[in-house]
Amino acid sequence: MGVEVDVQQTFRSGGHDFNLNIQFSCDENITVLFGQSGAGKSLLLKIIAGLQDTQTGKIVINGRVLFDSSEGINIPSRYRRIGFLFQDYALFPHMTVGENIGFSKRSIFSKRLIEKDAERVRELLEIFQIKDFSKKYPSEISGGQRQRVGLARALLQKPDILLLDEPFSALDPLLRIQMRAELKKIQSIFNIPILFITHDPQDVAELGERLVLIKQGLVSGSVDLSNPPYRDSLGKPVRPEIRKILLSAAGVSSA
Amino acid sequence: MYSFPVTLEAVTVPLLLSLKVAGIATFIASVMGISVAWLAAKRDFWGKEVLDALLTLPVVLPPTVLGYYLLVLLGRRGPIGSWLETYFGINLIFTWQGAVIAASIVAFPLVYKSARSAFEGVSRRYEDASRVLGKNEFQVFSLVTFPLAIRGILAGSMLAFARALGEFGATLMVAGSLPGKTQTLSIAVYEAVQAGHDQVANFLVVVTSIVCIVVLLASNYFLKPKYREA
Repeated sequence: MGVEVDVQQTFRSGGHDFNLNIQFSCDENITVLFGQSGAGKSLLLKIIAGLQDTQTGKIVINGRVLFDSSEGINIPSRYRRIGFLFQDYALFPHMTVGENIGFSKRSIFSKRLIEKDAERVRELLEIFQIKDFSKKYPSEISGGQRQRVGLARALLQKPDILLLDEPFSALDPLLRIQMRAELKKIQSIFNIPILFITHDPQDVAELGERLVLIKQGLVSGSVDLSNPPYRDSLGKPVRPEIRKILLSAAGVSSA
Repeated sequence: MYSFPVTLEAVTVPLLLSLKVAGIATFIASVMGISVAWLAAKRDFWGKEVLDALLTLPVVLPPTVLGYYLLVLLGRRGPIGSWLETYFGINLIFTWQGAVIAASIVAFPLVYKSARSAFEGVSRRYEDASRVLGKNEFQVFSLVTFPLAIRGILAGSMLAFARALGEFGATLMVAGSLPGKTQTLSIAVYEAVQAGHDQVANFLVVVTSIVCIVVLLASNYFLKPKYREA
C-alpha cells in the first residue's frame, strides 16, 4: 500500500511560468492535499491520473510504477486503475445513472453489460442508495446524488486508489457534512486509499489522516494527523491544533 | 407568351438527379468534414488556423471561381484529371459525378464549421472521465465525444444538404447542363426561364423551396440541445 509522488513540471500560462515541483509519500487511508486555489492541486491530481503530461518524476501507487521519466515508463490513463471524481463529477449527460455507473465495463457496440458486471452495478446502486434513480439522467437528480453516482462509477472498475478533486465544493454546507460521513464509510467498505484535494479546513479536520500542504506548486509540509496533538484519545480531531497548522502553512500567524 | 406544358418528367428528372447529387455530396462532405473537424477541435498542430481558413474558402469564393479551379484540376490536362484518365480511364467533366465533387466542396465548410464547434463544445472533462474509466481514444470518441456532438453535426449536415441542392455555378462549370444527365434542379430552373417555360419554372421553384424549408426546419430541430449538462 502507499502512494509515492515526485513530479516536476513547468506550465506556461498567460506569459508567465508556473513551476510544479511536488514530492510526498503517504500510506494512510485518507490523505488530504490542502492549499489555496491556484496552488497546483488539481494539476497534480491530473498528472497522477495521466491526464496531464509531466516532464520528469516518478509516480508509484501500491508498488505499481505508473510513471518514471528515468525509465521511460508512462502508463496511459486507461491502464492506471485510478478512480477519479471530478470537481463537478463529469457525469455523462447523455447516459442514465445506471449507464454512467456501468460505463467502464461497456463495449462500444452495446450498453448491455455481461451478467457479472451488471450484478456489480446493482450492488453499487444498492450501497450508494441510488437504485431508484438508475433510469434517470444526471440533470434530473440532486447534487448529493450526482456525487454518489460519480463515486459508484469510479469504483466499478475496482481502482487501486480514489482521487477526488474538491469533492464537496459544489454542495451546500449541510449536505457536505452528510457526504463527508458517507465518504468515510465508503473508504472502509471498499478498503481503498483516498487522496483528495480541498481548501476547506473542515474537510481536513473531519477526514484527514495525512495532511500534505501545497503552496505555489511546492509541498510546504506533510503532517500525520492521526495521532496527538491532532487527535484526542477518542480519535476525535483537535480542531484548534489543526487550524493552527493550516494557518501557519498559509503564512498567517495564529493569535 | 407561349406556355410550355408541365410534364411530370420535367420536374422528376432534375429533382431526382438533384437529390442524388446532393445526397452523395452531403455524405462525402460529412465524412471528411467530421474527421477534419475532430482534428481541429481536439488536437494541436502547426498551421491549424491556416488550414481552417483554406477549408472555409468555398463559402466565400464565388462558385464560378471554384468551378474554374475544379475545371483546371479535373480537366483532361489538369493534374488530377490527366492522372484519372491515364490510370483509370475516368473523365469527370460533364458527368453527374463531377457535379457531386463540385457540390461536396461547396457543402464541406458547412459540415466542417458546425462539427468543429460541436466538438469544441464537448467539455474535456467528459473525455478525461472516460479515459480514466479505461477507454482508449477511439472508444472516447464513439461513446462520448461523438454522441455529445451529434446534434450540432446533423444540423451542419442538413445545411450542407440544402447548400448542395441549391448549388449552381460550380456545378454548371464542371458538369454543364445536360438534361437527364447533369441538369440539376437549380440549373433546370435557369434553363426553363431562359426558354420561356414559365410553368415549368414556377413548378420547379415551388418544389425547390419546399425541399429547402423542410431541410432547414430539420436543421433547427437538431440545433436544440437534447441533454442538459448536469
